[in-house]
Amino acid sequence: MTSLSRLRALIVDDEDLARHLIREYLQGHADVDVVGECENGLDAVRQIGALSPDLVFLDIQMPRLTGLEVLELTGRRTGVIFTTAYDEHAIKAFELHAVDYLLKPFSKARFDDALARARTLHASASVTPAPAQGVDALVARRGAALERILIRDREQVHVIPVEQVECIEAQGDYLAIHVDGKCHLKPQRISEIEEQLDPTRFLRVHRSFIISLAHLQAIERPGPDRHAARLRSGKRVPISRSGYEKLRELV
Amino acid sequence: MHPILADARKLLWYELAWLAAGVGLAALLRLDDQADWASALEFAVPLCIVWSFDMLSAYYVCRSQPYAQRRWPVTLSLFGGASLLSALVWLGAGEAWNALGGDIVRGKPFVAMPSAGWVMFFAAGFALYLLSLLAHDVLIAFETVQHAARREAESRVLARDAELQMLRTQINPHFLFNSLNSISALTGFDAAAAREMTVDLAQFFRRTLALAERERITLGEEVTLSEHFLAIEKRRFGRKLDAQLRVSPEAAQCLLPPMTLQPLLENAIKHGIRQVDGGGTITVDALVRDGWLHVAVVNPVAREDTPASGHGVGLKNIRERLAVLYGARARIAWQRSETQFTIEINLPVDKEASA
Repeated sequence: MTSLSRLRALIVDDEDLARHLIREYLQGHADVDVVGECENGLDAVRQIGALSPDLVFLDIQMPRLTGLEVLELTGRRTGVIFTTAYDEHAIKAFELHAVDYLLKPFSKARFDDALARARTLHASASVTPAPAQGVDALVARRGAALERILIRDREQVHVIPVEQVECIEAQGDYLAIHVDGKCHLKPQRISEIEEQLDPTRFLRVHRSFIISLAHLQAIERPGPDRHAARLRSGKRVPISRSGYEKLRELV
Repeated sequence: MHPILADARKLLWYELAWLAAGVGLAALLRLDDQADWASALEFAVPLCIVWSFDMLSAYYVCRSQPYAQRRWPVTLSLFGGASLLSALVWLGAGEAWNALGGDIVRGKPFVAMPSAGWVMFFAAGFALYLLSLLAHDVLIAFETVQHAARREAESRVLARDAELQMLRTQINPHFLFNSLNSISALTGFDAAAAREMTVDLAQFFRRTLALAERERITLGEEVTLSEHFLAIEKRRFGRKLDAQLRVSPEAAQCLLPPMTLQPLLENAIKHGIRQVDGGGTITVDALVRDGWLHVAVVNPVAREDTPASGHGVGLKNIRERLAVLYGARARIAWQRSETQFTIEINLPVDKEASA
């Protein structure tokens, strides 16, 4: 047995017994090493970064960060088996995107199946990387509008409730997210976050700006046919012509 | 405000009707040969328009005597007095307008009405005001019935929502499937614990299902149910979860709507204990003081916890349920400090009738 064919697994679940069960089911599989266990989403983000395991058993409903948020932050798209008790939306999405998932409680047979599939995928992934678009869409679109924005700053994770966000600015491949006079950078496209945000609370007023309507104080007219939004913090954001039309419809 | 005055369209139609009445009165005067057409109109129309507003005052007279608290001698004399006063005003206004207005416009009174005519005028004023009082009475009764029907419909909807909410709590799929998963895990290494957990789960569901048909249960019953719930959750979350229930014997006998305490504990675990790294202790204190039942639940919360979506929905539901059942007599308040969440419920003491 070479180390290449062995699988290094991470178990993420906030319930001790749930982790215990997965460990027990794994005992029959000598080629799988459990390299770590995590009790919450934040810890999972750290451990996935530090250990880069081949396989992650990932609970969805967890404290701090949900399983899907862990994927968003780590950028991990393959080698994941979701475990969940009951998540209507997520389950539908899994079926659509063919991500493997285990519904609690699950049988040993079902678990072995999932593991066998993961093993095959892992073996083929070393030859040709598996297409990740399916999981990308799953991570990006979680059904309901985004409630908090996650930013990973080296080993730190910032969780920002969307109501605190004043405006979002596109800067190259990054988004500058303005909160309380501070600015956080996140690698994401502005069109992607625009889709995730609640359209009644956030508006794309410009090619590279999204503003929070709750933080909007006034619309100014610095020149003929030119508009700018003044936010509560005093910050000014340019408004394009089409942005002005949209804003007028909303306000 | 009077419903006619509050609605411009109604007011317009009402005034048009009175305009017609004015023209009718003028026609009568003309037919009786008391005045020519122009004078008769000049006399009758302004008077009727002013009088139309006086008639609306009957609404307030009626409102001052709600049906339920009416003593008929008082009401009848009030109605009679109001009509008499109104008729006197009508007569005075008529005479004054005829003499003064006529003098200014024509240099002589508008109409030459004999004394018998003024008596008729006065009697008509009296009768019309009395009629207006009766009409308003009917209108108000109608409004009251409609209002009551609407209120009843509203409280029915709220009660049904509360019931649905309760059913949903009974069959919380997360709780059920996670518990089954824990039992599945326990069977591998601690069969006795698995068996205990199965029994707790069965007891919890059996007791909750039995509550669906009952309007009130004792706090003691709710505590027993909550203990089964906590026993299950303690197995799931292990050393992270601890709970202390301090319920005075007197408080345990108090009646309250079923599923008042258990959802608070569920919230305390979901939004509190689960989010705190080392877990913590939930404390429940229930006691009776000065005829009030006080229930307080305190749990630790994560310091940097961001208010997740859905937080507070459960609490609002409980508040609405209590409001439907107790009105303003139930008080529920919650507050969050840096590390702690406290919720307090105060209800008037209600004990099982000793049968």
